Amino acid sequence: MKLDRRFLLRGTCQGALAIVGMPFLDCFLDNKGKALAATGRPLPVRFGTYFYGLGLTKQLWIPKNGGKDWDMTTQLKPLEPMKAKINVWSGLRVPLDDNPNYQHWSGAAASATGISPTKQGEFDSKTIDQQIADSISHGARFKSVSAAAAGDPKQSYSSLGGANTLPAEASPLALYTRLFGPGFQDPSKGDWKPDPQVMIQQSVLSVVADDRKRAMQNLSAADKVRMDQYFTSVREAELQMAAELQRPEIQAKVTIPEAPEEMTVNNALPNLRKTTPLMAKLGALALATDQTRVFNFSVSEPGSQIFVPGDTLGYHQSTHEEPIDPVLGYQPRVSTYNIDNMELFVSFLKEMDSVPEGDGTLLDHSLFFAFTDQSFAKIHAVDGLPIFTAGGASGRMKTGFHTPGDGSAVSRVGLTIQKAMGVSLETWGKGSMETKSPYTELLA
Amino acid sequence: MRNPLKSVLALALLASAPGYAASLPSSEVASLRRLTQEEYRNSIADIFGPGIEVRGVFEPTKRIGGLEAASTTVLSVTPVGFESFTKMADSIAVQVTGEKYRPKLPCAPKDGKAPDDACTGQILSHYGMMLFRRPLTNDEVKTRVALAHALADKQKDFYAGLRYGLASLLQASDFVFRKEVAVPAADKKSYTLDPYSRATRLSYLLWNTTPDHELLEAAQKGDLNSQAGLDKEVDRMMASPRLEVGMRAFFNDMMELDTFDTVSKDSILYPKWGSAIANSAREETLRTVINLSLKDNGDIRDLMTTKKTFINRNLAAIYQLPFSFTGDWVPYEFSQDSGRSGLLTQVSMLSMFSHPGRSSPTKRGVALMDIMLCEPTPAPPANVDFSVVNDTSGPLKTVRERLMAHAGNPTCASCHTHSDPIGLTLEGFDTIGGRRTKENGVLIDVSAAIKGDKFSGAEGLGKYLHDNPKFPACVARKLFAYGRGENAEDVSAAAFKTSYKAFQDSGYHLRTLLKGMASSPEFYGAPTPSVETAPATKLAAQ
Repeated sequence: MKLDRRFLLRGTCQGALAIVGMPFLDCFLDNKGKALAATGRPLPVRFGTYFYGLGLTKQLWIPKNGGKDWDMTTQLKPLEPMKAKINVWSGLRVPLDDNPNYQHWSGAAASATGISPTKQGEFDSKTIDQQIADSISHGARFKSVSAAAAGDPKQSYSSLGGANTLPAEASPLALYTRLFGPGFQDPSKGDWKPDPQVMIQQSVLSVVADDRKRAMQNLSAADKVRMDQYFTSVREAELQMAAELQRPEIQAKVTIPEAPEEMTVNNALPNLRKTTPLMAKLGALALATDQTRVFNFSVSEPGSQIFVPGDTLGYHQSTHEEPIDPVLGYQPRVSTYNIDNMELFVSFLKEMDSVPEGDGTLLDHSLFFAFTDQSFAKIHAVDGLPIFTAGGASGRMKTGFHTPGDGSAVSRVGLTIQKAMGVSLETWGKGSMETKSPYTELLA
Repeated sequence: MRNPLKSVLALALLASAPGYAASLPSSEVASLRRLTQEEYRNSIADIFGPGIEVRGVFEPTKRIGGLEAASTTVLSVTPVGFESFTKMADSIAVQVTGEKYRPKLPCAPKDGKAPDDACTGQILSHYGMMLFRRPLTNDEVKTRVALAHALADKQKDFYAGLRYGLASLLQASDFVFRKEVAVPAADKKSYTLDPYSRATRLSYLLWNTTPDHELLEAAQKGDLNSQAGLDKEVDRMMASPRLEVGMRAFFNDMMELDTFDTVSKDSILYPKWGSAIANSAREETLRTVINLSLKDNGDIRDLMTTKKTFINRNLAAIYQLPFSFTGDWVPYEFSQDSGRSGLLTQVSMLSMFSHPGRSSPTKRGVALMDIMLCEPTPAPPANVDFSVVNDTSGPLKTVRERLMAHAGNPTCASCHTHSDPIGLTLEGFDTIGGRRTKENGVLIDVSAAIKGDKFSGAEGLGKYLHDNPKFPACVARKLFAYGRGENAEDVSAAAFKTSYKAFQDSGYHLRTLLKGMASSPEFYGAPTPSVETAPATKLAAQ
């Protein structure tokens, strides 16, 4: 009989906890060293994605001027209060190379991976949030957390690659329970102590993980990858438990609210106006209390099924069926839905910006990447996707800029983001989207 | 009835052998299927009893080739999914080792305050065999006994240790995945599932749960390798009322009833709609299918035409029927002039494949072609002008007129001439399944023609599909793919030819199809392993 060394250690130390300091990684330190946790250590920079469907209307959203003095436009108007804290890209390309234009997928997947997808509904690599989580999440309770405002756990654009996506928490209550339900200890409270139960659970996981070698035998190549994902997940659960044994270092002064009530969660706009800020608030609290350092949020699926009650068409159908107004030159109803989407986006950002933290706000110490599936949804166009970042990444990302069409591939934004997040890489993306050139002018 | 608990235990100890499966010469894992939510719940209920609560969330599945079952061989367990599995495992283990449950365990410790390795080993072998659907190896038992021992010792509580031994089984890859192993067949040329894997595939097909004691015993004795032995078990399982559980799961998948999880309707236009109606509509369809195909042993094609259904108070409101009955559900037969026709006009099919605020002939047509005829429609070209479909201010008042104008474009026509006629015959029903005769003030024309076949309304469509040989063939194809976790589009018709012939000859009785399939060698066949699976290949870090 063989026993794992870790198991023996864990099996015998209930009640006698030895806390071992986790190695602190330079890559998530604030290089300015301004925002410091209670212990004097710099706060980690946090990351998030925001997905919204169906893009915007070209005639109404693209600012004329580039640089910092960009002019406000009809469709970006809702973002005005956040203008100084966001960046806007208006002319990025999504070269598909030899792959088909998978409707409502290619643009979203390319933005998230820098790779033109080879299959509908699948990612050809880890998504950007997971690549960043690999680098910044050590020591946080959850490696990443995803949430979907419209009630469908499948509306997640966070993936380890392939057909699997990391399911989203699909209601405010579900998100709250995952973050602040059983297993959560409030680090802002004085009575924080490690739970001995966690150490026992670690020894159980150790036994489960020890099956790996046998479990991998006689599998096909594809099944080996799947089995490997399972054991990677076991490993992550082990890391989560290790993190739960340490008091998170936080600086924000926050109060964890009571659990939200059950509510109708679907793609009706009035409901999304309630769930988006509520779930953003919970995400912000999770980031501020170091439950996670990566928070992904989707307001709809690509090909957004958002609808205003009384409108028999809804958003997605409208993009395809609403005629272009000959006088205006665009689709008026679609344009209204575009603006609704920007209002939802700003409601999300405001929550991130409302948590005070050190010399600024949580948003200042984070970086969010907002992307979409189409530029002109009526014809499933992907070139010219409206792409945003928000937050200054603790001073590493300059904000307030509009970068107009310069023919760059969308992957340049992804590379820039990873540079700002301290990920060590020189190139990102594949095929025509492979790039070595971040927007250095935006990096501080 | 003999004590099933004791005999499973005896069986588990008898069959327990080191290196089972893994060390068999030239064996391969033919399929690795992640348990679905229902499979997990049913398995736990059957192994530990219905009193054990399973609380937790399951990862979503995907629909591949018309079936969610096909995604179980493609998807893995993500960190979020495992987090949930690990919590559920502990919660189940806590219940099973709790005071109330202890009398049901196969043995009791000599001293409740100390480890008892023999008893722990018995309990873990017993449940382990049911969870892993095969006997545990000596090593698998020993590691867990050691874990339980150490923790029982520290906490001075036998059950506190046992809890964690059990929890480690409940989140193991061998439980959360159904691992079906193939070995060389008798002819030494092809591969076929080994006995325990046969038991597993058969049990989840017919009962949607883990193999029971008798089936595991048949596997252990090698009975499932002979035709007579297999037939015996198939007959036994098909005679059980649990067959209904299995077939509900199949039809829930085939009819895409999970779509209801994300259907929402416009609350201003259709204030009647709510989750209670959605749940009732799903149940109505399952009741209709099970009643016709299993209880009445009817012709499955009649699902397209039958006037018989089941309604409750919620549905009576949509169907505009008086509901004066007491109780929950009652059988109901629509009148001959109701315009209703089998599953096609049930609230489920009509509402799932519509927009929140209006019906969609295209959505309905595309869905029915795929679900009933196994004819998926390719995605439309990216750059298509659909605006004519929506312009209600112009001269084209009905969806039909507008769709026809759009389909006048030759690129669009190639698909729309297939799916639209089907959807257009259902235009007499609104987005939640209510009856109507006019759209924007104009009488709705519900006539259609497909390849020279002319018909009208839902009843015409029902008759067309009833007489279309593609419908029963599609049921057979999807059942075969469902049982094997394959993409139905990749299944060759030859693979289920014999059972399909029997199905046809029987007058399309589902039981005949099931029996033929579940006892056919093809159902348990596996591809010959490719050489490259033998050496450990380096895993691509994605």
